[in-house]
Amino acid sequence: MTMTNPRQRRRCSRGIAATVLLATLALVVSACGNSESSGGSTTIAAPTESTALDQTNVPVDQPGVTPTEIRVGGVASVTNPLGGNYGEAFTGAKAYFEKINSEGGIYGRQLQLVAERDDKIANNKAEVEALLSQGDVFAVLPIATLLFGGADALVEAGVPSFGWTINPEWEGTPEQPKANLFGQNGSFLCLGCVQPQVPWVAKQAGATKAGVLGYAVPQSSQCADGWEKSFQEFPEAGVEVAFKDSSLSYGTTDFSVQVSKMKDAGVDFVITCIDTTGVVNLAKELKKQGVEAVQFLPNAYDQELLEEFGDLFEGSYASVSFIPLEVSDKPQGMQDYLTWIEQVGGTPGENSIVGWLNAALLVEGLRQAGPEFTQQKVIDAINADTNWTADGFLTGVDWTVAHTGQSPITCTPIVKIEGSTFVPQTGKDDKPFVCFDRQTKSLDLVSQ
Amino acid sequence: MQLLEYAIRGVPTGCVFALLAVGLVLTYKTSGVFNLAFAGQAYVSAIVYYELRKELEWPLVAAGVVSILIVAPLIGLLLERVLFRYLRSAGSMAKLVTSLGLLIAIPEIAKLVFGSETRKNPPPLWWVRRTDEWLWPEGATFVLDAGQIATMASTLIVVVGLVVLFRFTNLGLRMRAVVESPRLAELSGVDSERVSMAAWMLSSVLAGLAGVLVAPLFASLNPFDLFTLLVAALAATVFGGLTSIPLTFLGGILLGVLQAVLAGTLPTDSVLTNGLRPSLPFVVLFLLLLFRPGLRSTRELADPLATVDAPPPPPVVRARPPWVATGARAFGTVAALIAFLVSWFVLDQYWLGLAISGLILSVTMMSLIVVVGMGGMLSLCQAALAAIGAFALAQVVQATGVPVVVGLVAGVLIAAAVGALLAVPVVRLDGVYLALATLAFALMFQSIFVPLSWVSGGAVPISVPRPVVGPLDLSDDRYFLVFVIVCATATALVVIRLREGTTGRFLQALQTSDVAAASIGINGPRARVVAFTIAAGIAGFGGGLTAIDLGQASYEASFPYLIGLVWVALLVSAGARSIQAAVMSGLFFFLFPALLDKLFALPGNWVESNPDAPSWVASIANAVQPTWAQSVAFILFGIGAITYAKHPEGSIEAQTTASINALVRRVEARNGDREQAPVGAGVGPGAGGSTP
Repeated sequence: MTMTNPRQRRRCSRGIAATVLLATLALVVSACGNSESSGGSTTIAAPTESTALDQTNVPVDQPGVTPTEIRVGGVASVTNPLGGNYGEAFTGAKAYFEKINSEGGIYGRQLQLVAERDDKIANNKAEVEALLSQGDVFAVLPIATLLFGGADALVEAGVPSFGWTINPEWEGTPEQPKANLFGQNGSFLCLGCVQPQVPWVAKQAGATKAGVLGYAVPQSSQCADGWEKSFQEFPEAGVEVAFKDSSLSYGTTDFSVQVSKMKDAGVDFVITCIDTTGVVNLAKELKKQGVEAVQFLPNAYDQELLEEFGDLFEGSYASVSFIPLEVSDKPQGMQDYLTWIEQVGGTPGENSIVGWLNAALLVEGLRQAGPEFTQQKVIDAINADTNWTADGFLTGVDWTVAHTGQSPITCTPIVKIEGSTFVPQTGKDDKPFVCFDRQTKSLDLVSQ
Repeated sequence: MQLLEYAIRGVPTGCVFALLAVGLVLTYKTSGVFNLAFAGQAYVSAIVYYELRKELEWPLVAAGVVSILIVAPLIGLLLERVLFRYLRSAGSMAKLVTSLGLLIAIPEIAKLVFGSETRKNPPPLWWVRRTDEWLWPEGATFVLDAGQIATMASTLIVVVGLVVLFRFTNLGLRMRAVVESPRLAELSGVDSERVSMAAWMLSSVLAGLAGVLVAPLFASLNPFDLFTLLVAALAATVFGGLTSIPLTFLGGILLGVLQAVLAGTLPTDSVLTNGLRPSLPFVVLFLLLLFRPGLRSTRELADPLATVDAPPPPPVVRARPPWVATGARAFGTVAALIAFLVSWFVLDQYWLGLAISGLILSVTMMSLIVVVGMGGMLSLCQAALAAIGAFALAQVVQATGVPVVVGLVAGVLIAAAVGALLAVPVVRLDGVYLALATLAFALMFQSIFVPLSWVSGGAVPISVPRPVVGPLDLSDDRYFLVFVIVCATATALVVIRLREGTTGRFLQALQTSDVAAASIGINGPRARVVAFTIAAGIAGFGGGLTAIDLGQASYEASFPYLIGLVWVALLVSAGARSIQAAVMSGLFFFLFPALLDKLFALPGNWVESNPDAPSWVASIANAVQPTWAQSVAFILFGIGAITYAKHPEGSIEAQTTASINALVRRVEARNGDREQAPVGAGVGPGAGGSTP
């Protein structure tokens, strides 16, 4: 009997593991778990159409480049005991490389992810140094880590580096732009910045009073301040901040008092800078106290989360850093992603999309740099790109400003949770994202 | 009226605190172990319940019975038989260190057995998929969900049951007697083996129950979340004096109520609120430890017959013959020289970086030698003190532009000053109370001070440049290695000087007997404050070096309190009195997971380079995952601490003693010299040298 369903396989292996543990304990002997066999080899389908990149193969004297290969290495938090398992980012990068390689590679060379380093604990800098000193890599990607202590080492080395912008170390300044660090949709995190999409969503939801919640830790409280400022700077939304608490204890599970106070204040729109446990417990408490408030969830684009808690978030909104997978008219980049992530046995989701986008940006940089590419040429080529969309997967990144600031026109894909599915919200010209002109201080949607 | 509303809203959370705290107190009352591994045991039951109930879709009762009433007590039985039966007469430090080891090892073992994938939406101990699917009374002002009802009902049943057990049954009386002194209990006809097994099984059931009940509070199952909740509940255990079940229950409820009332009444956006609310459980814990009436005068549970046991042998460095000391010194010098040359000429950037980080950690470990090994005080806040050194260095350099080396000195002084302030009240506490007070300080520091931008720099860690010393630019890792070696050597000399000096000898006397030491005029608190202060300064020095190494002073990357607990477990298991153990532990912490990573990658690499290998061989080889490295390393760190029960002097010192004894015997046999006695078996300190 074969089990092709991964969930079925997982259940069986967990059942075996549970049985083994019970039997072991019953005998009062030390546990010695059997390791489960991992999946077999992956077969990559031949390309269905020829989209081959430039095959001009000229000698290039660069780290990690051979006549037949361009080698890259990545680092992700996989087994960090403090949390975060972002290993799927590797799968996303591999999927993109498989796509390119199936088309003949680039400049006659195959792209190879030769190192997948586990960030482990307190070791990001060491793992980055390992890639630089041992990996013989042309670029570092994907970087999807809980902490990013290796940022300075990468900047100093000048290696093109691509990753997930969840750490403030990605951001550059005019004095030190960190021009070789590329996040999946820009490198500027700007936690405390004004975000016009927030009052816009509140207005769409017909809200008049907002509640803002954040933890008493720097990133979270800065983010909460940013949400508050967003409402203040766009009074045309007609939404006032009626309740704000950015002194929550990280990891708190009880929001009963906050919800009670929000109820008293007539809050009908809640926006948070808290983790998944926090938003779930908050939603449960809103339900318990009968508060009919729409939530705006910055980090909730997760299909598994929706499967488990979707009904709690009915009618709520979430922002996404790429075009949502649920759009009916899927752009080419997304179609390719869905095809190839399945080919390599990966799971569609944010982590693997980040890996895919990182790999796509490297290839775009190589393409722009030409057959005699160097690390610096790739960096320069990307930084000259004013509208990077990854074949329509992103709303468009202007890399001439994306290291140190935001473009005047800001675009964000928004989804609404309806019937336990994500429904993309359309902006101007029926695009699956909304764009605003920051300079006009208006919530009128603009074209990209 | 509104105050009352907030207070009522805090009761369900108070019950969660109470349940966890009662579990800890039960374990302490029945085994004498302040069991920090309670969270690990709870995690295992929660995983088993998750797998049975959610993945295998077992009925509620069957899944609950197996996870709470079968798996949990079997874990308790296993722990008692394999470990704690040997610790019944041991001091609180041995028991606490062992539980620290288990806290580190158990969740990682569970991850290896059950897989480390994210387990979302842990199922409640109720007939619903999610806690909010059953609300009562619906539409009322105060509504309880299925999880809260299950937790509150269970907590009440547990408290009443335990009060009855301890007040009205023979078993309860016997449990307390066995904890007090297993040998005296046996003299009275009590089968201490069976009673101890029953006690561990019972406390483990409570851990399992707590794990299953508390897990649905989180969006996904994570041992770290359970431990965080457990440490928040510690204040309730101290409120109950670690012994009273009803008072502990009351303490938990009060803590929940206080938290809710403060959340409802304090302004939500002030500096005071930002600091106080998240740190409330730890502030309460710290204040209770310092000021709870009777706590400071309460002696810990200790076996009255322990005083008839032989004192531990002196450290091997004090008892080895002179020729062994000379040989060891020569061997150590040659080994260090070879290690240095290998580091300089052979290691690449990665391994060199790990070696440097390890050496720097060994400096911080030396602070533990002073406070734990010499002072006998189990400090759980050395990571926080190291962070203070790092932040002080970063802030001073950033604000004034002084050379980094000057900032390093400032960091040492500030960390020492904070250590001195902390030491004054803390050193008057005994064993487990002192450990809890230092843990509370670490947690307060994390909650109150780390978020402040004038301390940590805020969301973005402050950069720290590598210094230039004379002609040497330390941004070259090889030169930085030399600098770190010099720093580590200087620290080791300070520690040795302290150990051999007056303070060291006072501390040694105090470890043997407080009363005897006082009778000859030794001021115990003063000597301990001095030791704590010096240790804090050394920790600050290590923290500053860490910041220089990393290029930034980052709390999350370098100094989380949980990592500090791992350091303690590692150092104590290696040998809390030995410089050699500190250096080995520091290096081990960084190098061992990296070596395991390489080791576990070998089978997969072999399969890749041998595509024709038989499929069964390939499948076995592919089953070995490099991602096991961190888990296996933590399991071994934990097991190392567990061995503390057998070798309280530390595994490295035990091994060194055994090696020296074997060498001495061999030499004696060759020389026909029957007069010399083996090391560590009665030879006095004056018999040999006193260098490490």
